[in-house]
Amino acid sequence: MTVMARPWRRLTPTGRIAVPLLVLLVLLGLLGFLGLVTGIIPGLVDFVLRLAGANPGIVRFIVAAVAVLLLSIPIAFINGYAELKVIALMQSRIGPNRVGPFGTLQAVFHGFKMLAKEDFTPLGADRPAFTLAPVVVFLTVVLSFLVIPFAPGLYGADLNVGLLYFFAVGGLSVVGLLMAGWSSFNKYSLLGGLRSAAQIVSYEIPLTLSVVGLVMLAGTMSLNGIVEAQGGQFWHWYVFQQPLGFAIFFIAVSAEANRTPFDLTEADSEIVAGYMTEYSGMRFGFFYFAEYVSLFIISALTAVLFLGGWHAPVDIHALASFFGLTVPALSIDPGSLGVGLLLLITLGPLIGTLLLTVPVALWRTDWSIWRALLVGFLLFNVAVGALITIYAYVASEVVAGVFWVMAKTFTLVFVFIWIRTTLPRVRVDQLMAFAWKWLLPAALLNIFVTAAAIVVLS
Amino acid sequence: MTQTYSKDDPTLLVDSPAALIDSIQPFPPRSEREAEFYAVRDGEMLINLGPQHPSTHGVLRVVLKIEGEKIIDLDPVLGYLHRGVEKLCENADYHQAICYTDPLEYISSLFMELAPVMAFEKLLDLEAPRRAQYIRVLTCELNRVASHALFMGWLALDLGGLTPLLYAFVERDEIVEMLAAQTGQRMLFNYFRIGGVNGDLNHDFMSRLGDWMSRALKQVEANQRLLNENEIFLKRTKGLGVVDRDTALRLGMTGPSLRASGVPYDVRRAHPYLVYPELAFDVPTREEGDTYARYLIRLDEIKQSIHMIDQCLHKMPDGPVMAKIPRLIRPRPGRAFAAIESPRGQYACYAISDGTDQPFRMHLHDPSFVNLQAMGVVLPGNLIADTMAIMASLDPIMGGVDK
Repeated sequence: MTVMARPWRRLTPTGRIAVPLLVLLVLLGLLGFLGLVTGIIPGLVDFVLRLAGANPGIVRFIVAAVAVLLLSIPIAFINGYAELKVIALMQSRIGPNRVGPFGTLQAVFHGFKMLAKEDFTPLGADRPAFTLAPVVVFLTVVLSFLVIPFAPGLYGADLNVGLLYFFAVGGLSVVGLLMAGWSSFNKYSLLGGLRSAAQIVSYEIPLTLSVVGLVMLAGTMSLNGIVEAQGGQFWHWYVFQQPLGFAIFFIAVSAEANRTPFDLTEADSEIVAGYMTEYSGMRFGFFYFAEYVSLFIISALTAVLFLGGWHAPVDIHALASFFGLTVPALSIDPGSLGVGLLLLITLGPLIGTLLLTVPVALWRTDWSIWRALLVGFLLFNVAVGALITIYAYVASEVVAGVFWVMAKTFTLVFVFIWIRTTLPRVRVDQLMAFAWKWLLPAALLNIFVTAAAIVVLS
Repeated sequence: MTQTYSKDDPTLLVDSPAALIDSIQPFPPRSEREAEFYAVRDGEMLINLGPQHPSTHGVLRVVLKIEGEKIIDLDPVLGYLHRGVEKLCENADYHQAICYTDPLEYISSLFMELAPVMAFEKLLDLEAPRRAQYIRVLTCELNRVASHALFMGWLALDLGGLTPLLYAFVERDEIVEMLAAQTGQRMLFNYFRIGGVNGDLNHDFMSRLGDWMSRALKQVEANQRLLNENEIFLKRTKGLGVVDRDTALRLGMTGPSLRASGVPYDVRRAHPYLVYPELAFDVPTREEGDTYARYLIRLDEIKQSIHMIDQCLHKMPDGPVMAKIPRLIRPRPGRAFAAIESPRGQYACYAISDGTDQPFRMHLHDPSFVNLQAMGVVLPGNLIADTMAIMASLDPIMGGVDK
């Protein structure tokens, strides 16, 4: 070990992550090679495939659970970085700009910093509850990921009570927050936990009622069904048919996720950090993780319910057929090219690079030809990447669906961050009064008007 | 063999956390009031706000007795920042004493040195040249704008709004850099001297000042827009922490907090000093006495200050900036009192000379300490969330409170 100590110390933090990963990769490659040669891996694959063929439901569940858990990590980092950067720019600051290009790795390094910190349990804390609380909070958030449809056919589970499942699981997070608040043995934590219980329980009601009108219109509680019911042009989205419902939902959901101006549970100027006060290290990190993932999830749910989910704002096919035209379907079968395919693969990059080099060399006469060639090659790569993306978007409705869901979701994430930068916090009694005196009657009115409209119009 | 435990035994704490849970009173109560306060009845809870809390301004510690989220009683504990400034000043000569008073209100330091300087000048029976007096007013009003700008940011931050603080710091930083160009320091200026100021206005300062003055009013109004039309801000500050006229007078409050309760008392107008009689300015007053009024008063005062800076620049006479004074200052035995209007209220210095080169006694009357008393009248009955807004609206600086 002493042999390794010196080179290890000389590595940069990035290197300390990259080198073990590289070693791991080489070892895995070696193991894979050995497995292939000895025939263990093909046997295993065969066994797994046979098992999977027998139980498609279980396979789907496992794949979905793993995908959701893995997806939550980059989403948390992206949201964390976006929050840092957007708030900074709105406050006329620069924000993170040191780690990675434009500080993009800042959130990742915050995560590593959390890992390196002491994981402290205060004396007098209720140890099991204190340890489990972050897990409960995180799991409730990740579980509600399961029903969000990202594209036609791309979802964790298509429950026929998807919406109810979402609210039920989302409401469970209050258990985690109460556990954290109670077990921390701290009065500020206790106040934060109690506030969160009161807040989330009260806002659950207008939240659930605000989507009843939408469910009546769609005729289903499955999120896939709701998205399908919004097909067509953008005026078929429910935000235009249910504006009041959208407003109530947006407010209630931001209270549900403890976003400003309803972030009373972690109000730093009042009760220090609320239920998180006594947490440190990665347990604290888990709370933050859950917060950022839940920011994504509430945005995604809003996009799915009210903004048409995977549908593009303008349906080109429908528009064209309205004017009596048809959009030609894109059909490329590379196999039909025959020898031409071989020529394309070998000569395409060469010719493309040269073609793109010529204008660069003419534009920058002071550059050497090698430099122009390099730039031309990079440009060619960018062009090919763009072409492949466009082809994927046009040819695959999954890619198009994911694109639109993500675009809408991150727009909403931006709106949530924008709100956080702009508004002060409401007081706890104002919060309660707002939920019970305004949102609840408004949600009931929304249901009544929607029902009346459905009866009259049909 | 029986094992005996003592309170200091570390194993006791480790083995039975219950020893920590039981509240241990460090001292027997010193008064009936204290005994009553710390006797916690059913449903009540004591909670320690400070001395290290994200939003107490400095190291103020307040023990709150709460029922649910409602405050029913409080016990402020002061003295975490006590430096013994008065005693320090008594052991320094007159020039040195000025710089000890600087960090009292560390965001408006110029005022803190102005009062002792004026008191010492009265002891010496000398008057600063008129140009020096204009420079004093000019720099002081700049400092007032910086202090009030910061107040608005803090109030918004304590209400949960993040951005106004950053905007306030933009304005404050410009002023502070400007004053640094003039005085050589960003926060603790130590610029005023007995008999004048340290150095005439320089080019760097004047160019920065001119640059800032061209857009100061617009900036203030922009800040105003961000908060004033914000429904949540209005809901949270209007009618909150009302100090009525009589209470404010009985407590001896001064400054913007008093004027927000409808008493038009301003030392600059009531007991004019320096060249204030020659300047035209209003004393903004409001009747409501709530947090929102205290906020608006400061906004109006910023506008008045900018107006005064403008007048100072126009009326600035030529001449020396230091009077001729002996190097070693030994005032005749006597006493002098000088009061000024600091951004927080009436700040005064009472100095007694015994004929030596050190003040025999120097008392500093700080407005933060007096205004902070209103907390005890106003807080009970409010929610925890509002303690911060009320405390911020009284704008105490703990350096001045604890001295």
